[in-house]
Amino acid sequence: MKSLRHNLKKGLVVLLGAFILLAAYYCYVLFFYGDRWFANSYNPRVRLDAWEPKVIPGDIKDRKGQVLASTVKENRRNPETNTKQVFYYRSYSGGKQRARSSAHVVGYNDPQFGRSGVEALQIRYLLGYNNPFYERIYQKIFMTREVGNTLYLTIDADLQQYADDILGKHKGSVVVMDYQTGEVLAMVSHPTFNPNKLGEDIAGDALVSRATEGLYAPGSIFKIIVAASALENLENVLEETFDCRGTTEIGTQNISCYGGEAHGQVDLAQAMALSCNGDFARLGVEVGRAKLLKTGEAFGFNQDFIFPDLKLVASRLPLKPGVSKEKLALTSIGQGDVQVTPLHMAMVASAVANRGIMMEPKLVYQVVGRNGKVQKALESRVYRKSMSEEVSQTIHDMMKDVVSEGTGKAAAIKGKQVAGKTGTAEIVDEDSGTRNNAWFIGFVSDSKSKVAIALVLEDMPSGQTGGKAAAPLAGKILKKAVDLGY
Amino acid sequence: MGKGSGIMPDKNYEILALTMRYWFIGLIIFVIIRIVLETMGAKKGQNYRDEGPFGHIIFFMVVFLTSAFALLAYKGSGVYDIYTAILGLVVGTSLILQYNLFRLIFPDSDRLLLIVVDLLAIFGFIMLYRFSPELGMNQIKHFAYGNLGMLFFILFTKRIRVGRKLAYTIMVIGCILLLLPIILGKEVYGAKNWVSIMGFSFQPSEFVKIILVFVFASWFKYDGGFRDHLPAFIFAVISVMLVVLQRDLGAALLYFYIFLFVYYIATSDWLITTLALGAAALGSVISYRLFSHVRIRIEAWKNPWRDIENKGYQIAHSLIAISSGGLIGTGLGLGSPQVVPAFKTDFIFATLCEEFGIITGLCIIGLYAIIVLRGVTIAIRSQDPYWSLLAFGATVALSMQAFTIIGGVIKMIPLTGVTMPFVSFGGSSMVSSLALIGVLEGVAITVPSLDGDTEEQTHETDEEGDYEE
Repeated sequence: MKSLRHNLKKGLVVLLGAFILLAAYYCYVLFFYGDRWFANSYNPRVRLDAWEPKVIPGDIKDRKGQVLASTVKENRRNPETNTKQVFYYRSYSGGKQRARSSAHVVGYNDPQFGRSGVEALQIRYLLGYNNPFYERIYQKIFMTREVGNTLYLTIDADLQQYADDILGKHKGSVVVMDYQTGEVLAMVSHPTFNPNKLGEDIAGDALVSRATEGLYAPGSIFKIIVAASALENLENVLEETFDCRGTTEIGTQNISCYGGEAHGQVDLAQAMALSCNGDFARLGVEVGRAKLLKTGEAFGFNQDFIFPDLKLVASRLPLKPGVSKEKLALTSIGQGDVQVTPLHMAMVASAVANRGIMMEPKLVYQVVGRNGKVQKALESRVYRKSMSEEVSQTIHDMMKDVVSEGTGKAAAIKGKQVAGKTGTAEIVDEDSGTRNNAWFIGFVSDSKSKVAIALVLEDMPSGQTGGKAAAPLAGKILKKAVDLGY
Repeated sequence: MGKGSGIMPDKNYEILALTMRYWFIGLIIFVIIRIVLETMGAKKGQNYRDEGPFGHIIFFMVVFLTSAFALLAYKGSGVYDIYTAILGLVVGTSLILQYNLFRLIFPDSDRLLLIVVDLLAIFGFIMLYRFSPELGMNQIKHFAYGNLGMLFFILFTKRIRVGRKLAYTIMVIGCILLLLPIILGKEVYGAKNWVSIMGFSFQPSEFVKIILVFVFASWFKYDGGFRDHLPAFIFAVISVMLVVLQRDLGAALLYFYIFLFVYYIATSDWLITTLALGAAALGSVISYRLFSHVRIRIEAWKNPWRDIENKGYQIAHSLIAISSGGLIGTGLGLGSPQVVPAFKTDFIFATLCEEFGIITGLCIIGLYAIIVLRGVTIAIRSQDPYWSLLAFGATVALSMQAFTIIGGVIKMIPLTGVTMPFVSFGGSSMVSSLALIGVLEGVAITVPSLDGDTEEQTHETDEEGDYEE
């Protein structure tokens, strides 16, 4: 019966292994997703009770202390008891336009409509669940109602409102961030809504936070990733030239440059500055699927972003094994099935500016307790290393050329060097013909200012390219950020 | 639903419960560490008789139980329900009594195993009493019946070696038991696996687990080849099919696990094992295609958040509950278990995590792992194929059931509705789980001494005679 004994030991290993796996998974998911589950807007434990709130949610302020959201009380008639009672609700302050400009970031907390944005994700702090034991006991003993903590966001409400102004009536999104720390300074999505009047008619997709949930075809801004991959993987790629004749055949796919323009003999830097599709399609195919995918992943594509401060939808770079040459060529110019979010593209621009290191985006500046004690302060964290420092420097220089002599001239601002990349993704719509998504991503190339930007305007008429439509707006916002001292 | 929890707890109660979290978690960690250390420290070849003493472990468990009941007795604003506090004391005293009686009657039993089971049951008592005193009282009664069941199976296992003749009889009993709910069953949660006879309702599929363990042990103790094993195969297939007919997928899965593990351990037969795995895979694919409720389960497992209000409701609320407690929990009575569906039975793990914390959840997983360790050790010690397989089968039945439900509740695997042994509310579950512990203890006391090789010799001669049965 030696074998039975031996088998029993194997059985023991399998069963114990199952439980070790169970314990490991339990710890893993709770560590990474626990806070998210708790913050879920379906969690009734943290629902705001208008008449009898156990805890009064704390304020949300911008980085300078301007109030964005607070809890207000008011005497109202309670329809259930039919008596006058104190009614608590969240109010989004700073005037209608300010409330609208930050509506997606701050979100809302309403007994009827649920929670979203920071109001949802950081409810732990707003309700004081992070308070130490003695503070909770103190509040229970000495206060009639417990109070939550004040949350300071990294957002600058003035910049936020300015960006909102600049976007005007356009649909789209702007993200401005500090590329060295990952702090999000402004994050606007259009169309927006008034969080104080949720009951009113809100246009179709106005509640969607385009900056973090909107998936767009990136168009030519994806060339940054292709260039990074080519620089890392191909030799002498900087010296090579490419003869652009306006249209380039890759397999059965015709890749044409914008407007069918022939760029002639171009090297990589010129191809970037002129946004030559032919050269980048060729480069993408030359680098190959696996390596391009690897670079893409280093830039955060196909990654489940689990950031503690904000929810960001994963960007898609579907390069499965066996992908055709034609598809690879299309992907390399940011068409095809590549999809990105504006915030992610701001991170890509930041990675170039920050010597190849992508920072984790941050939205919580600090959490301050009842008696002014800072309970949690911003701590910057590296998200991943996207490329080597040399590659980032090369791309940085190329992006300067884009603004100084290429497609992105309109983004230039006085007194500061801007680096960037334009993009125009064509969306063929059966009703309205070809529409454009106009992109500009970039940053201020200056040792004092650390701002990076991503701006997208969706559903633009054809002719409104990234360079024409998006770059000037991005330039203005960058200028404002510089003026504000970032 | 409104506020989530029905009655707002009183402020004084809240302060008390918040403070007592530290006391509870301290006790839990202390007890777990003691249990783990005792398990680790067991010397190879040591008799269970010489282990211990464990008196202090059971004492601290009872302290945990009584202080939790003392807290639950406090209704706030000066009202103190003395009955609840006394109940805690009575149950605690009974547990000490149970442990000591057990030690006196069966000195060769694995007492640490009993302690682990008692601790799990204590968690169940506290949570269920906290939901409603009536539930808690019923569960305590179930535990008492379960102890009788355990006693019966200790004696049965020790006295009666189930041969083929008896095995055929219990196979027939098993089939009848499984047919009952199909003929006169009632539907609960979409499954028709309950029977009610003379005002006494129970779940036959729970008890058939024990029958399967005995049948497989008595059949697979020799490697008699396919034709010899055929009746056991047929019984396995029939019982799985009968529970599938009752739409009790959890039981089907468990029966399959018991068969797979016991058969492979006994015979090392890769061919049949692989075939069984293949059949199970095929079965799952077919049921995925055929039954919408299976598809819904899989979808809910893949992404419960997509459709929180319908398909993902159970799992999403379970995960929200688990994450709402933090490391040491919200405090007993301060969570919102009513939000979690089936919080009394399948999802009791989630509510335990909410009120006693993530650490406690981890400790509970650890307790089941210790049951695995002690159970398989009993199987290895016993040196006789029949008893080894019996002990191993019982261990598989208990541990895989715990694995299936905890894994489902934390979204590691698709959710299949089975109860959490010793903790979930339910008489059938409690009695059958304790009966399986009875089987384990029965094997443990049958092979009291550990003189390796000589034992092996005598048993091998035994086997020849046994074959004639």
